[in-house]
Parts: sequence; C-alpha cells; structure tokens
Amino acid sequence: MSVNGAASLLALVGIDTYYGQIHILEKLNLEVREGELVSLLGGNASGKSTTLKTILGLVQPRNGTVEFRGENVTGRTTSYRIKRGMAIVPENRRLFGPMTVLENLEMGAYLNRDGRGRKEDFERVYTLFPLLKERRNQLAGTLSGGEQQMVAMGRALMSHPKLLLMDEPSMGLAPILVERSFEIIQQVHQSGVAMLIVEQNANMALSIADRGYVLSTGRLVLEGPAGQLLEHEDLRKAYLGR
Amino acid sequence: MNWSLFWDLTVSGLTLGSVYALIALGYTMVYGILKLLNFAHGDVYMIGAFMGWFALHWLGGPVNPSATAWLVVVLMFLFAMVACGGLGVAIERFAYRPLRNAPRIAPLISALGVSFFLQNSALLLFGASFRDYDTFHLIGAKTYNYKDIFLSVPQLLTIVSAIGLMIGLTLLVARTKIGKAMRATSFDREAASMMGIDVDRVIASTFFIGSALAGAAGVMFALVFGQIYHFMGFLAGLKGFTAAVIGGIGSIPGAMLGGLLVGLAESYATGYLPQGSTFQNLYVFALLILIILIRPSGLLGKADVKKV
Amino acid sequence: MADELTPQVPPDQPRIGVDEWVASVEGKRERYRGPVGWLRRGWDTAPAGARLLAFVIPAAIFPLVTTEGNLFRYGLITLLYALLGLGLNVTVGFAGLLDLGYIAFFGFGAYTYGYVASVHTGHHWPAVPAILLAIAVAALIGFIVGFPSRRLVGDYLAIVTLFFGQAFVVFVNNGDRINFWPFNRTDLTGGANGLDNIDPLKLFGWTVNTTKEYYWFTLGAFLLVIILLYLVSESRTGRAWKALREDPLAAEVMSMPVNRLKLMAFVFGAAIAGFAGAIYGSVQTGAFPGDFDVGLLITIYAIVILGGAGSLAGVIVGALVVNGVPELLRDPNQAEWVFYTALVLLVLTKVRPWQKLVTVVGGTLALGFALVAIADAWFPRWTAGEPNTGKLAHWVSHWMLLPSHATQIANWAYALTIALILVLTLLRGWWRTIVMIPTIYVGAFAWENLLVEQTVGATRFLLLGALLVVLMNARPQGLFGTARVEIV
Repeated sequence: MSVNGAASLLALVGIDTYYGQIHILEKLNLEVREGELVSLLGGNASGKSTTLKTILGLVQPRNGTVEFRGENVTGRTTSYRIKRGMAIVPENRRLFGPMTVLENLEMGAYLNRDGRGRKEDFERVYTLFPLLKERRNQLAGTLSGGEQQMVAMGRALMSHPKLLLMDEPSMGLAPILVERSFEIIQQVHQSGVAMLIVEQNANMALSIADRGYVLSTGRLVLEGPAGQLLEHEDLRKAYLGR
Repeated sequence: MNWSLFWDLTVSGLTLGSVYALIALGYTMVYGILKLLNFAHGDVYMIGAFMGWFALHWLGGPVNPSATAWLVVVLMFLFAMVACGGLGVAIERFAYRPLRNAPRIAPLISALGVSFFLQNSALLLFGASFRDYDTFHLIGAKTYNYKDIFLSVPQLLTIVSAIGLMIGLTLLVARTKIGKAMRATSFDREAASMMGIDVDRVIASTFFIGSALAGAAGVMFALVFGQIYHFMGFLAGLKGFTAAVIGGIGSIPGAMLGGLLVGLAESYATGYLPQGSTFQNLYVFALLILIILIRPSGLLGKADVKKV
Repeated sequence: MADELTPQVPPDQPRIGVDEWVASVEGKRERYRGPVGWLRRGWDTAPAGARLLAFVIPAAIFPLVTTEGNLFRYGLITLLYALLGLGLNVTVGFAGLLDLGYIAFFGFGAYTYGYVASVHTGHHWPAVPAILLAIAVAALIGFIVGFPSRRLVGDYLAIVTLFFGQAFVVFVNNGDRINFWPFNRTDLTGGANGLDNIDPLKLFGWTVNTTKEYYWFTLGAFLLVIILLYLVSESRTGRAWKALREDPLAAEVMSMPVNRLKLMAFVFGAAIAGFAGAIYGSVQTGAFPGDFDVGLLITIYAIVILGGAGSLAGVIVGALVVNGVPELLRDPNQAEWVFYTALVLLVLTKVRPWQKLVTVVGGTLALGFALVAIADAWFPRWTAGEPNTGKLAHWVSHWMLLPSHATQIANWAYALTIALILVLTLLRGWWRTIVMIPTIYVGAFAWENLLVEQTVGATRFLLLGALLVVLMNARPQGLFGTARVEIV
C-alpha cells in the first residue's frame, strides 16, 4: 500500500506532557497518514505509553495539539476521540476478565448506537477470528494468552476504527504467537485500517511497518522509512542486538 | 419449640433483612467501582425516609390521602428514590470525584464529613423529634396468614418490592449496556475508558442507582416500623455495611445474602439469645467478627489480590 | 516529514537506548513565599525544643490571665482534645489506619478510672495505679480489637472499629443490667445514668481539685505524651510507621513486620486515648454514655485532619481551632462577629482581582439594602422578625430580611445555600463572581434566621462535617502536613 501523498490522519504537534514536575514528552511531533502502518520504538520509560495516552486523551499535554482527521481534538474527551474513529489494543490486553468474550466485544462497540451495524461488526470480527465465535460465552479471564490477544484485537475492531493503536502487542506472548499476532496485524492493516504500533520488539515491528519513529527519554531521536531504520547503525546496536 | 414465635422472628428478620440488603447493595456497588466505603450512604437512607414522609404529607397525609393508598405508596417510593438518587450523584460529584487520585484515606474522611453534614443538616431542618408515617391509617392493620405465619401488609410490601428491586438490579447489571459498562469499569477503569466508556457517567449512574435503592429502603423501613428521625441512618448504615462485608464486599448477590443474614441474625438474637432485645447489635457485631475471622473476603467475595 | 533519517539531537549525545528518566526530574522548588513563607521556613528550621516552647509559654500564661469558666472551656477541654488528637495521630497520622472506634478507648479509660475510684463502686484507688490501669485496659482492648483486624485492608478495619465504637455505647448504656454469665447482675457501668461521683485525682498526697490544678496536670500530661511521641516518631518504629502509611505493600516487600507495626500503632493510640479518658473522668467527676458518641469522634478527626495527619504541631493548632471556634459561637453576639469576620476574610482573600472584589462586596450590600427597602415598602412581614441580640446583629438587620415566621423560609434558604455553593464550585470567571453575590446573601439569610440559633448543636457539627469535605478537596495534607509527591 502506497503511503506517500496520503492525507494526514493523526498528527501530534509540539507535544509536552508532564506527570507533576516530571517532563515525560518533550516537543513531540508525530504523524500517521491514512492507511499507513507506523511503529513507535523505544526502551523502558521512554514515553511510548504516555504518547498513546496523550493521543487518546487519557493524559492531557501541557503544550501542543493533537489533530485527528483534520480536527483539533486536544481538549476533547477520550470517548469523543473513540467515537471519531480511534481504537486501542492496550498493553497486556486489559480484557474484562469476569465478563464473557461476547460482552468484551460489546464493550468495544460501546459507542455504536445502531444495532444493525453491530451485527455486521460481529460477523467481521468472527471472520477474522473464527475461534472467538466458538468461545463467545466463555469468560475472557479464562482464555490463553494468544486467545486473549485475539479478543483484544477483535474488541478494538468492533468500533470500526480509522486508526488502531497497539501497545506492545508482542508482550507476554510465546514467540510463535508473536509471529501469528503480527500476521493478523498485517491482515487488519491490509483491510485499510491505519495503525500505530508501539513496540520494544523493534525488528518485528519494523519488518511490517511503513515508517518508524524512535523515542528515547521523551524525545524523538530518529524517524524515517522502516527499511532505512532497520539498517541504521545506532538503532541496531541499541535494539536489534546485531 | 414455639413455632409461632419462630415464624414471627423469621418474618420480621426477612423484612429487616430486605431493608439491610437494599442498603448493602449501594455500599457494594460503590465499593466495586471506586474501592470507596461511602460512609454517607446510611444518611442517604435517612434522607429517603424523610422524603417519603414529605411526599406522603404533600399528598394529603396518612389520614386523608388525596389518592388511593396504593398510589400514594408508589409515589412515595418514586419521590424518595429520585431525590436520593440525585443526592447520591451530587455527593459523588462534589465530595468524591475531586479526590479520585488522592491517597486512599482522603475520600474516606471526605465521606465521613458528608455523613456528618447530612445528619446535622437533617437535625437542623427536620428537628430532633420523631416523625411517624402512621401506616395504620394509610394502609390499615390487615394481616395475611398461612397457618402460623403472619404477614402484615407493609411487611409483605417490603419483602416483595425488595425482591423486585433486586431482580431488577440483577437484570440491569447483567443485561443492559450501562450494567455491562459498570462491570467493565469496576474491573478496570482505564481499560473501560479506552473503550470509549464515559467513566464519570458510569460512576454517577452507579451512585444514582445505589442511592435510589437506599431511598427505597428508607421508605420501606418507615412503612414497617413507623418512626423516623435524623440519626436513624447511622445504625442502619452500619448494618448495611456489615451485610455487605459478610456477603463479600463488591459482590451484588453477596450483598443480598448478607442483608438477609444480618436481618435474620438480629431478629433471632432478639428472640432467642440472653437479653437479646437489649444487645442484638452486639450479637450482630459478633457475627461480623466471626465471619471476618473465618472468611475475610466474605461469603461470596473473592480473595483480594493486590497489584504489585 | 522528510523521508531520510533526521536525527533530532546533536550526534555527540548518545541518547538512543539510554534511560535518563531519573536525571530529567526537575530539582525541588522553593515552595513558600512572602511573609507567611518566611514564618513557615522559620518554623521548619527551628529545633524541636524551640517549637515546643512556642506552645508551652502561651499555654502556661493562659491560666493567669483568664477566668475559671474560660480556662475550662478554652484551656482544659482544648488540651484534652489535643491529647486525644495525639493518640489518633499515631493510628491515623503515623500508620494510616482508619480507626473509627477510637472514642471507645477514651471511654474505656474514663470508665475504668471511674470503676476503681468512685463512690459508685466503693473503690478509691490513688491516681497513679488507677491511671495506669486505665491505660492498660484501653491498650488491652485495643489489642483485642486490633488483632483480628490486623490482616485486613484499611477499609475493613474502618467497619470493624466503627461497629466496635457503637458496641461500646450499647454496652455502657446497658452495663448495669447484664444478667447472664459471667456478669450476673453486677453493675459495671451505671447504665444510661453513667458513673457519677468519680474521685478527683490523688497524686502522692496532692488532690487535684480546681480547674486550674486540672489544667496544670493536663498540660503536664500533654507535654509528657508529645515528647514521647516526638521521640517515637524519630525512632526506627516511627519511620517504619510512616513507610507503612505511604505504601504498605512496599513496606512489606522491605521485610518490615507490617502486621506487628499496625497492631502496635493501634494499641499505642488506644493507650493514649485511655490516658486521656482517665483524666476526663476525673475532670468532670463522672462518665456518661452520651459523652462517647460519633460527634466527639468527628471532632477529634477534624482536629487531626485540619492540622495535618502525622504532624504533632498540627494537632495543637487543630484542637485550638476546632474547639475554640465553636466555643466562641456559643454566645449569639460573639457568633455574629465570628460569622461575619470569617465571611469578610474569606471574600477578601479569595476574590481577586480588585474589580471582582468590588463587584462582590458592592453587589451583596446593594442587594441587601434594596431587598430590605422593597420589603419595607410592600411586604412588611419580611422585615417584621426580631433581630438577634448584639450590636452587630442590630446593624445587620438594616441589610438582612428577617421574616416574622422564618422557619420554613429559612429551611429553604439553607437548602438553597448548599445548592448555590455547589454550583459556585462549577463556575469560572465572571459567572462565579456574579453567582457569589446571591450565594453570600442567601447564606447570611440562613445564618441569621436559622443557623445562629443552633450554634452549640447542629450548626457546629454540620460545619465540622463541611470542613472535613472542603479540607480534603482543597488541602488534603492539612495545615501542617507536607504534600505527598505522587509518582505515576
């Protein structure tokens, strides 16, 4: 999928985020275009999760703006942004353990008001993850890690997102499941959903991404097409171990 | 064995237990979603009893009601529930919401303050004397019986409507969208907001429902036992608390079970234990300690796992 | 954005993969400014002995310059409350345990002393063993209550202790007619009438009799306890308690004996309450069930929270404010002055800039005079009420509507005041300024026509309740506490 020249879907402009006195993000600029798959890399406490929370509005930046689909959404609530077409697969999946798979998916479609569209959404998710249809009445907390990952992705897709945010999709999964998980990510991406993937597993993330950003202690230190980043020397030393 | 005494105690225990169960539900729902002990809840119940009284008197009073008794009772319930629901939402908005991220002891103390404020406001506005619902004139003294089991109309009304409200609540939480959002929010608030759930609104709804149930409980208590006063919320709140803890705090069926258990225990203690009518509260306290020692997480609660 | 690689930091800073999170935390800022800041810095840097003197000297002069009645109400009772506050401060302030049965330990102290030293039972122990017994009994009961609760999370402890406090009241109210084993028909507590004719304290041949003597004795006891607590709070155990309060889980991981520490704090607090109780019993030569109710519990909580949980100096200030202000309210004339002074001070300090201040003050005055003029002309019933006693109340009556039968209207005005204040917290800017005018007027109306009549009872307590809520919202660390640094 070609990305050059596509319209901007999400843009962070000059974002400064603080927790109390602590400066977490410094003058962050980041962009995701329509249909693009972007990965955001960085080590522990580099500000990756805070970036996602700022995009979703769970954390308010002190300076800077968040633009989504050409609209300044900086002061808007999380639920407004989700209604406009964001969705997230959170770190560690964060399923609602004591609720069934079906109910978890329903929560993903919380803001969809009309019932007819919802049926199609369920069908779409069940086509992507046929296992979920079998397991729909099981409690989400009793599923295996890989199955939970499917529920988390299905839940995020229920709302028909324009932009899917993924926080550490490989975390806590067996290597074989990581591969499977990234295949699914690519599949979803090919259906036209733009994605921003936050990862520590830089190799895997860059191998499927169009572009990448590298974050270190709250600042962007590198950005560029995924292929070039994979070849970058500093990055290879720091993350790829070769 | 004196069966007639036993059945009398059972019936009054179930009546009292229905009231406690409704109060316990409010505690447990709020605790489930905010991990906060809402000390003001007992006083919301007290306000509910007073709102019922005012509704009764605006409708012409017990002797000369301006509509049929049944309609008056229904309107009393509705008015008390709506007023208490609103009060609960206001308490959450002004006393608890600003403290969402404060150290845990801060909202508890704020809750203590709200409780004291409500109690003394009621003392100031309604006076220190008892007020009477005068159910005798409103409904009459008719009783139903099956063999030895005697039920007065207000008792029947209390038990039946409490069961109705509990079924309604269970369905609401299990089936409806807002109910599911409540469960999701109480399990993981941030994940819920990531799904687009307006967490503030879900919490406000929880307070509305819990407080409305307390308001209904206040009217029920007053219909059965007649007299209301500004301090009545303290003990009832304490028993509701106890019921919620015994059942397992955070668990809705637990609160119902705990409420009935506390009501029955209090009633049987009054009848069977030495000096029960004086010390029934001490016996309930002993039951609380016993349950906490044997099963710290309550009868239907899950063991508390702390996040590291 | 460009497609080639664009490093955004100079190449000499190898930042990739380096965690500098800690290094990027900004330095601690100077928090206090102005003359108040100067005072606070002086206070913070003064040695503990000097801080204690700042309290002891005025406290020692006070009995020499005041009357017997004032010494009792402002001096002795404040000291007793402060002593109680010190004990609660150990449980809540140091260790972070929400003990809602605290007043029961106070009661146990008073009743124990009364049981071994009064006409009621016929025993007449001297003060030292009697007080020691009172302390021991309170501590033992604290141990018994705390033991099953020690494994519980803070919330369960709150319920158990709240119920325990209630159980104590039930017990003393009916303690004269328990007739089952092992108390067959023994009169333990004197029932609803309480224990009367409790002996004064007899210390080594000296009998404490007058208010002044009790004041000196209590002051001595207070100093003893505060010095003891200071030493404890600086000790290993004191530091462990604070660690426990800030993060119980971390404390546990650091291999601190969490349960034992909790229990110790609980028992320590109970023992101090028992001590205060014994003194209280002898001061008023009696112990009555009604003295140990929720009202006192809230009062002591307000003292500890207002001063700042964990702060010893804060307890003294808290006791002075929480006991002193309501005592001033007792006299309707003084109450008027207190109310309007507080109102004016609040408006002067909180309303900025001066344009808004002028609007609020001018608007409120104009509103009042206009309403009185309208009422005088057309609705005479609205100004037909009697003004309250005192010069200030007389002046106020030119500005304030005083209806002849005010009860109903004043009740609604009270409810309206609460609603307006709540609305006020939601408004910003000029809307807030404008709504402030009717809020002040309606509030003052409710005060003049309703609240001022109940200053000893309901008004005092509802103000305490509101104080707790406002304080938690505005300054949860209290006047003397330091703000916690929240790490996300």
